[in-house]
Amino acid sequence: MQLSTSEISELIKNRIKDFSISSEARTQGTVVSVTDGIVRIHGLSNVMSGEMIEFPNNTFGLALNLERDSVGAVILGDYEHISEGDVCKCTGKILEVPVGPELIGRVVDALGNPIDGKGPVKTKETDKLEKVAPGVIDRKSVSQPVQTGLKSVDSMVPIGRGQRELIIGDRQTGKTAVAVDAIINQKGQDMKCIYVAIGQKASTIMNVVRKLEENGAMEYTTVVSASASDSAALQFLAPYAGCTMGEYFRDRGEDALIVYDDLTKQAIAYRQISLLLRRPPGREAYPGDVFYIHSRLLERAARVSEEYVEKFTKGKVKGKTGSLTALPVIETAAGDVSAFVPTNVISITDGQIFLESDLFNAGIRPAINAGISVSRVGGAAQTKVIKKLGGGVRLALAQYRELAAFAQFASDLDEATRKQLERGKMFTELMKQAQYAPLTVSNMAVTLFAANKGYLDDVPTEKVLSFEKELHGFMASKYKTLIDNIEKTAVLVEDDEKKLTKAIEDFKASNAF
Amino acid sequence: MAEISTIARPYSTGIFSLAKEDKKLSEWSDMLKLMASFINHEDVFSFVSNPKIIDSEKEKLLVDLMGKELSKEGINLLKLLVENKRLSIISTISSIFDELKDADQGTIEAELVFATKPSKIEIEDLIKSLEKKFNKKIEANIKVDEEIIGGSIIHVGDTVIDASVKGQLLNLAYNLKA
Repeated sequence: MQLSTSEISELIKNRIKDFSISSEARTQGTVVSVTDGIVRIHGLSNVMSGEMIEFPNNTFGLALNLERDSVGAVILGDYEHISEGDVCKCTGKILEVPVGPELIGRVVDALGNPIDGKGPVKTKETDKLEKVAPGVIDRKSVSQPVQTGLKSVDSMVPIGRGQRELIIGDRQTGKTAVAVDAIINQKGQDMKCIYVAIGQKASTIMNVVRKLEENGAMEYTTVVSASASDSAALQFLAPYAGCTMGEYFRDRGEDALIVYDDLTKQAIAYRQISLLLRRPPGREAYPGDVFYIHSRLLERAARVSEEYVEKFTKGKVKGKTGSLTALPVIETAAGDVSAFVPTNVISITDGQIFLESDLFNAGIRPAINAGISVSRVGGAAQTKVIKKLGGGVRLALAQYRELAAFAQFASDLDEATRKQLERGKMFTELMKQAQYAPLTVSNMAVTLFAANKGYLDDVPTEKVLSFEKELHGFMASKYKTLIDNIEKTAVLVEDDEKKLTKAIEDFKASNAF
Repeated sequence: MAEISTIARPYSTGIFSLAKEDKKLSEWSDMLKLMASFINHEDVFSFVSNPKIIDSEKEKLLVDLMGKELSKEGINLLKLLVENKRLSIISTISSIFDELKDADQGTIEAELVFATKPSKIEIEDLIKSLEKKFNKKIEANIKVDEEIIGGSIIHVGDTVIDASVKGQLLNLAYNLKA
């Protein structure tokens, strides 16, 4: 850590100057027991629920259980030095985290302390960790798209700004990859991103950060990390901390995207805290309010109206809507979506991207199951050109699945059925996409256009992806104005359609693939 | 597991209402303190908490020890505690009883810690202002502790008013670190 000496003495001078010497009246209590990060405190008769409690050695705790004779609190951070008989004090404060644009490009812990070795985060503001989501009046319906750059997501399960789209699947099905690709594609889209890692291996988190850095995504991204070795309390709080950091942008008329990776681990951390606090266990030993911890978190992802932004900024920002888009991740065990936490989060979110290990192992990556992946509100926000061209993909894949199951028994098929099967195979192949290679809207439109118009029907399945790649290269070199026009307007007018048809025919004639 | 105070509370409230009916609050308070000090004595405690010794033996010992100092009701309480195997919570019963008694009489105990021995007028002034603040009669317990360097610390129930130099220095240290 590097700091200039003048800065330090100046800081100290100001701190001493502003330091007010006054006697303070605070409520005190005594620690009765310490067990696995949970302390029971005698006294503290005036403590509020969710209030910060100060322990010796600059340690803080959070009051969670207020009982007749004692207070149950969870320690934030190390608790080894706290022992029976220690005196603790009320602070009168609710837990807050630093917020602001200064956090962008940084890796912080659940309390907003930097852990990337890049020196202190000089934020000017802090905000409450737990806040109530905007009400009905303050909201606006989702109407702008979030481009993930993934063909399969943007064409079949479009996501809108302010939407909550669940990414669900077994372990090792590419859940994080979908989320990280979505973050990487936000470059130049005027979107701030927050990646909240909960209960993951520190090495995995480091890999994600490095990938984001390599792809230039840390310029607009904050990573909130509560790794597997952090205490359960921090793992439980990290999503709320990330959400508060994202809300800063939402409330100021900007757009933000937050990824919670993953909420299953948060639920497990909360279960640990609850059981240690002796709250009664329910289904799968989760406490009764495990639904509420996720619903209150995800409700905070919203698109807010111009009036709300104007009121919040006291008239400084006018005529702009703000949004916080959430991509929560849930890990299922053996594809069991009817477990407690997955069903809860499925019912809270506005749709889900379902990833399957069978597809993943068959080489279809991203391993999205097109049949059961849905977006309940994204259709209204989908880019016009993708909406126009992408409609056929879902249908073709749905028909393909139905026919493929049926065709297993039939030896000879009629021409129409065979064609449909081929087409389905082609679309399945076309929906494959490498990691860290998001597509622009125009390139996606070109691909979908070519597929829809049947230009890919006579291309061998294994060559579909190289056809696509060469086509994009061809378009960029020979038809740059057309591509730029589609990218800018995001619509496909009749005139452009003719040009595009000609371009693809030119390309096919050149036989470059 | 229920907490000790949760178990002790019904005993304390029971004793309190009986004491209030008989107008023997301070007698009971003294009796409970006596019982607590006897039972918490190392030798006595190891005897009464020994599971090998039967209840009637324990009862006999306790009554022999304290019988002269206790009223009939006091001995009954002892017998009840032996029967319910709750002798270990007697000090909590005593302290909850005292709290109930103080609340009933509108008094509150306060511990005043000073760095140097204060004058009588200072104490009187302080108690007067504390009585005004808490709206209760203050039963002050004065201590001198050089460790707090200067000023004073006032403990009233759960509330602590820290006006000591030590507290302010700690506060300053915290502010500089933050």
